Amino acid sequence: MTANVVGMLRPRGAGGRGPDGPGAPRGGGEDPRSYRDRVEAALAAGRRFAGLHVGAGGDVVRTLLVAPDGTAELIGTSVDDGAVPSIVDLVPAATWDEREAWDRFGIAFDGHHPLRPLLDHSGSVSWTVPVLGADVYQVAVGPIHAGVIESGHFRFHLVGDRILQVDARLFYKHRGLEPAAENEPFDVGLAHAGRACAACTVSNSVAYATAWEQILGLVPTPGLARARTVLLELERVWSHLNDIAAICAGVGLAAGNARFADLTDRARRLNALLSGHRFAFGSVRIGRSEIEADTETVDGIRDGLIRIQEEFTRSWRELVFNPSFTDRMPGVGVVDAAQAVLLGTTGPAARAAGLAEDVRAASPGLSYPGFEAVVPTRADGDVRARFEQRSLELEQSFGLLLGLLDGPLESALAEPGAPSRQIGIGLVESPRGRTSCVVERAGARAAGSDGSRERSRDGSRDDEHRIARWRLRTGSYANWPSVAFAAAGNLLPDFPLINKSFELCYSCVDR
Amino acid sequence: MFTLLRDLRRIRRGLDLPGPARGGSLAVRHVDAGSCNGCEHELTLTSAPAYDLQRFGIGVVASPRHADVLFVTGAVTNRMREPLLTAYAAMPEPRRVAAVGDCALGCGVLGSASELAGPVEDLLPVDLRLPGCPPDPAAIAAALLTLIGQ
Ligand code: SF4
Repeated sequence: MTANVVGMLRPRGAGGRGPDGPGAPRGGGEDPRSYRDRVEAALAAGRRFAGLHVGAGGDVVRTLLVAPDGTAELIGTSVDDGAVPSIVDLVPAATWDEREAWDRFGIAFDGHHPLRPLLDHSGSVSWTVPVLGADVYQVAVGPIHAGVIESGHFRFHLVGDRILQVDARLFYKHRGLEPAAENEPFDVGLAHAGRACAACTVSNSVAYATAWEQILGLVPTPGLARARTVLLELERVWSHLNDIAAICAGVGLAAGNARFADLTDRARRLNALLSGHRFAFGSVRIGRSEIEADTETVDGIRDGLIRIQEEFTRSWRELVFNPSFTDRMPGVGVVDAAQAVLLGTTGPAARAAGLAEDVRAASPGLSYPGFEAVVPTRADGDVRARFEQRSLELEQSFGLLLGLLDGPLESALAEPGAPSRQIGIGLVESPRGRTSCVVERAGARAAGSDGSRERSRDGSRDDEHRIARWRLRTGSYANWPSVAFAAAGNLLPDFPLINKSFELCYSCVDR
Repeated sequence: MFTLLRDLRRIRRGLDLPGPARGGSLAVRHVDAGSCNGCEHELTLTSAPAYDLQRFGIGVVASPRHADVLFVTGAVTNRMREPLLTAYAAMPEPRRVAAVGDCALGCGVLGSASELAGPVEDLLPVDLRLPGCPPDPAAIAAALLTLIGQ
């Protein structure tokens, strides 16, 4: 989780483009000519694409790559005449990121053609992929959907009931959260990260807070790591229970939906017991935790969790011995391991395809000793595998939580212990997969090169703690292209089920 | 399956909501006008066994043409302004608008002013205001119950 930034981020004062240059890389520098080679070499070394952003001055584009051991690397390229080389042929997972950078900052990506609009709804350029042939017709759905669902638009290209291609047009809920917090103090950014999405609020907040702690050279103490891990796992528990309820709804199994909706409700009550809020809004702070729970409260949460676990186990058994339900899932909406690597699929969806990748396995700032990613025995990458994956991960999270809730929770701090940086990177395994938050701080760096400068932990208003640029790239953002890919070739009536088997958010994508 | 159904009956005991024996019904159309998904997640749970709004005759309907109430969540982004107004225009009279959650009420909204068209009140006549970030399922259930028969 703490991304040990190698190579492309230098510690403060270690040379580069000038005293205030944003995280200027060494080695290959920001030379556009070597950019693709550097990205290609990192990918060949087993690193995964985890986001692309435009630097604060608008003159540099940086690609974030993450190694299995949690090491994160930013590979930069300077913007030349409004353009940079595209990397989508090397790593298709970068497609949305490049489209977003074009829409928001007007940066062209040489070789990415056509560069279709993603965020831009103005309509001057076609956003759908043209699908031609006999009897092809389109079905347009949304932005308002028939149930209680977030707003977004899907364009299905069909012959009969068969989906040839589906294009998702999201960003109807674009609130401009990132620009709204630019030039503001770091705590303002935390509020924006937390409210980007209720379903990922803890994950997004921890990713953002971690990025700032890295900038400030702070290292979480074990107490802070424990508090955050409890919050993260509680978020995963209610979220995975909710996903199972949603999958039941996706096939019209009302009893299963109701049973798991109730368990979701009860898991959210545990959040409220711990943090005072059913989604744990405001529970994550930068450089500290203020969560306090005495033995009685912690025991109450433990007991609640054990009851949820018992009823989950029983209800799960009921579900999997219900053939009219389980028969709907095998072979539907497949993303296999090789496709998942190309698409940048992450989280339960990637593990369900057999990729044993989980940010928690390399999260030194959190409390996951000896953690290993789980994958299902039938890692077919279909709806059934994603469904079964939720159960495996729930059992894992119950185990983690019962281990962590072994005594009262006290407020805790992060402590100085690392060189400060101009750019920080937070990586978190959210319920929907790897979430990255890159923060570039504003202004001149403080004098004292010995790091002895007193650090302010609480919303200090000086430039040292202002945001120049930040980008939150959530597991949902990473996975939306996989939903479209998984749906192609399947039947339109199976789309709700395929969609629910990913159960992605729109709000933290749209921001 | 029996176990599941038996559980559902047991879960509801001990809640404050009134018994289901009342007249009237309410067809609700939800529009997410730019929420953080928190209000949606809580609205979804109003159909969970503990609250089970269907037993009061309250249901979420697929089209605004079938709806008595437009249940609006979120700050209303520029991009959702038109779809929201279109959904309202499609509703038959008498129709009601519920602005649900602090965002829909214009309280503590986060985002860039240039992207936001809300609060709901600026665009539609609001009949029911439900604060909270988000209001919990019990609060949503209680508020919707007050609309029956109005
Ligand atoms: S009121 Fe709160 S929970 Fe509801 S959409 Fe706004 S931020 Fe989210």
